[in-house]
Amino acid sequence: MRSRLLFALLVLTAATRVAAAPATLTATTKDTKGTAVTDAVVSLIPLDTAAPPPAESTGEIAQQTQEFLPYVTVVQAGTTVAFPNRDTVQHHVYSLSKAKKFELPLYNPGQKESLVFAATGLVTLGCNIHDWMLAYLLVVPTPYFAKTDGQGRAVVAAPAGRYRVEVWHPRMSAALAQEITLSAGETPARDFSLTLKPDRRIRRGGANKSGGYR
Amino acid sequence: MASSPLRFRRFSTRLLVIVLGLLAAALLSTYLLVTKANQANAIAHIESRLAGDVKVFWASIDFRKRFFVEGAKVVSRDWPIRTLYLQPQLDLKTLRTTMESYAARLNAPVFATFDVDGAMLATTNDSLTNESCGPFRHLIRTADENGWEQNSAFGYLEGKLNVMIVVPLYAPEPNIIGWFGIAFPIDDRFARDLKETTQTEVTFTSGLTEDTKRVLATTLPPELARQVADQAPAELKPDGQAMVTNLGRERYVTLYAPLELLAEDPARITLQRSLETELAPARRLEQTMLFILIAALIAASLIAVAVARGVSQPLQHLADYTKLVAAGDYTRRIELPREDEIGQLATAFNHMTAGLAERDRVRDLLGKVVSPEIATQLLQSDLKLGGEEREVTILFSDLRNFTGMSERMAPTEVLTLLNRYLDRMSTIIEKHGGVIDKYIGDAIMALFGAPVALPDAAARALAAARDMADSLHDMNRELEAEGKPPLVFGIGINTARVVAGNMGSHTRLNYTVIGDGVNLASRLEAMTKEPAHRTSIIVSEATARAVGEEDKLRSLGHVTVKGKTEAVKVFAVDIQPRPWPTRPLARPPTQAPYVS
Repeated sequence: MRSRLLFALLVLTAATRVAAAPATLTATTKDTKGTAVTDAVVSLIPLDTAAPPPAESTGEIAQQTQEFLPYVTVVQAGTTVAFPNRDTVQHHVYSLSKAKKFELPLYNPGQKESLVFAATGLVTLGCNIHDWMLAYLLVVPTPYFAKTDGQGRAVVAAPAGRYRVEVWHPRMSAALAQEITLSAGETPARDFSLTLKPDRRIRRGGANKSGGYR
Repeated sequence: MASSPLRFRRFSTRLLVIVLGLLAAALLSTYLLVTKANQANAIAHIESRLAGDVKVFWASIDFRKRFFVEGAKVVSRDWPIRTLYLQPQLDLKTLRTTMESYAARLNAPVFATFDVDGAMLATTNDSLTNESCGPFRHLIRTADENGWEQNSAFGYLEGKLNVMIVVPLYAPEPNIIGWFGIAFPIDDRFARDLKETTQTEVTFTSGLTEDTKRVLATTLPPELARQVADQAPAELKPDGQAMVTNLGRERYVTLYAPLELLAEDPARITLQRSLETELAPARRLEQTMLFILIAALIAASLIAVAVARGVSQPLQHLADYTKLVAAGDYTRRIELPREDEIGQLATAFNHMTAGLAERDRVRDLLGKVVSPEIATQLLQSDLKLGGEEREVTILFSDLRNFTGMSERMAPTEVLTLLNRYLDRMSTIIEKHGGVIDKYIGDAIMALFGAPVALPDAAARALAAARDMADSLHDMNRELEAEGKPPLVFGIGINTARVVAGNMGSHTRLNYTVIGDGVNLASRLEAMTKEPAHRTSIIVSEATARAVGEEDKLRSLGHVTVKGKTEAVKVFAVDIQPRPWPTRPLARPPTQAPYVS
């Protein structure tokens, strides 16, 4: 009797293992001019099944040399994100985004605050003191996501199934969504052409030296 | 040359008209040109200043806009705003009070907050509704579409002209969570401030779609501002249009420039400067010019009249004198001690008159030296040597004892006596139409029938001879009374064909007759010396025949004249018996020489 149970368990595990063999989607993003797009977020949102809950992971957005690092962060909804101050000055992190409105009033270098981001959506972060500090935290409902690298490539691993692929970049007015079906063991590749808005980030040290006269 | 209007009787009038005409034309045209130029310059000057003043206006607007934009930028990142937005529900009441703080900080007349779509959330101006913030919405939409960090325009808020500015609320940039709106009015105070900087009159008027063009703001009194609004032109170039307009009673140079408005016809900014004020110094100059012009004209006319008089008076004087000279008065001399041409004319006139007088005297003298008829003949004959053959009666007379008498008298007495005798005899000869050819001492040679032909030349000569004898008789009676010895003469007359004309050299000639007939007359006269003939007048046969008294005269027979082959019959002419002188002719008088 016990051996039968063990065998069933093995078969079950094996079956599960066979059923859970991951597919890999290689997404390549380019803008309309053909340049590779960095820091684009590619996420696979399962359509048929519910997404598994987030692993015990934390995200981190540090303040260093009066900048947020990294610029774009992706976490699954429910993840805790820490905001360590690794700078030499104080910072006042805030966000007025609908996904989460918060502020971390002036806190010193070395201090660290953490928050749980339960709602999905885009959280835009700024610093009340330093106008140029900007970071994006995209809270997605899936654990299957990746950021594009310098070549504009992101590799997302996910079990086989039907997914909605969402590609987002800070300079896009809305995310690009597509449906995709992944089969086990497949490694499809997809190219995405993104329409980006002009870059309107503040240039640091942009005060006009001559006092505003041309 | 001169058209009828310029024909004047008086030189001074003509000169006056010409000088004044030219001067007036030149001065008036100069004056007109100067006034026109002054006006054109003043207008151009003002126009360029107004063009500059418009730039000042735009610069002041831009400056104020920039000030508000930069102030709004500062306050938009202020913590109260962010904190209010962090709250789950935006507290509009508190937001409005925050606007009040910000408005006070920036001195902004109107401060409002809008959401991302342009709906008005809060404002410091209680009368503003969401609807009346349409212009702000327009600005927000355009800025959003273009990604601008600010936007501004002129527009109407509650019917009043304002400058509206919108600035995004960032959280953080470039993410927009809302908009700030600021407005400041273009009102009379703004216009006055602009006037202080530019020294021009400033008026803002509304566009032309409205029935009445409204005055939006002005530095002028209401009626004049109304005038400005009414005179606004319909079409305007972006740089505006300058023109000369009437404001009240004064002329102004006015610049109308368009103010583009949001979704409305453009309003107008009008800048004006008084043309009269600009022209004031020029007007003073023009008045002075006019004064000088009139003074110059008056002076010119006086001088012209004086100059003309200086010319016409002496000329009139000369004309009068010339009339006198023409009438024959050669003694007149004109006094004009001037150095110029008129003085030269006067001098020439005097020389001419002297020349005329001289010529007259010469003529007179010629007539005296030769008889007037010979003088005329000489003058007319071109003074050519030579003559013509004609029949002439020649009369010779000679005094018998004159030389002897003259030895006993003083020379002047001699001349006086001789002249007295010659004068008497010559008068008689001329009375009978004879012409004295010459005097040879006490002898007279006279011509009858030359140079002027006489039909009864011989008769005249004979009559003259008779009269001469009578006259001598009378003269002797006078001489006797004076105690002087009597005179005795002899006369010889011949009629013959002779050559009459100018004899001598080119420089010195004589009108006389030449021929045998002349010699015969002389011989006949010499024959009277012979007492045997007992006559003082002997005529030739030719003369007697010509007279027609051949049978009445006493024949003296034939005489042979030296040099002639034929003998000539001669006659004596007896005078009525008169007492002959008792003393012998040759005996010198015993009395002392006469003392005259």
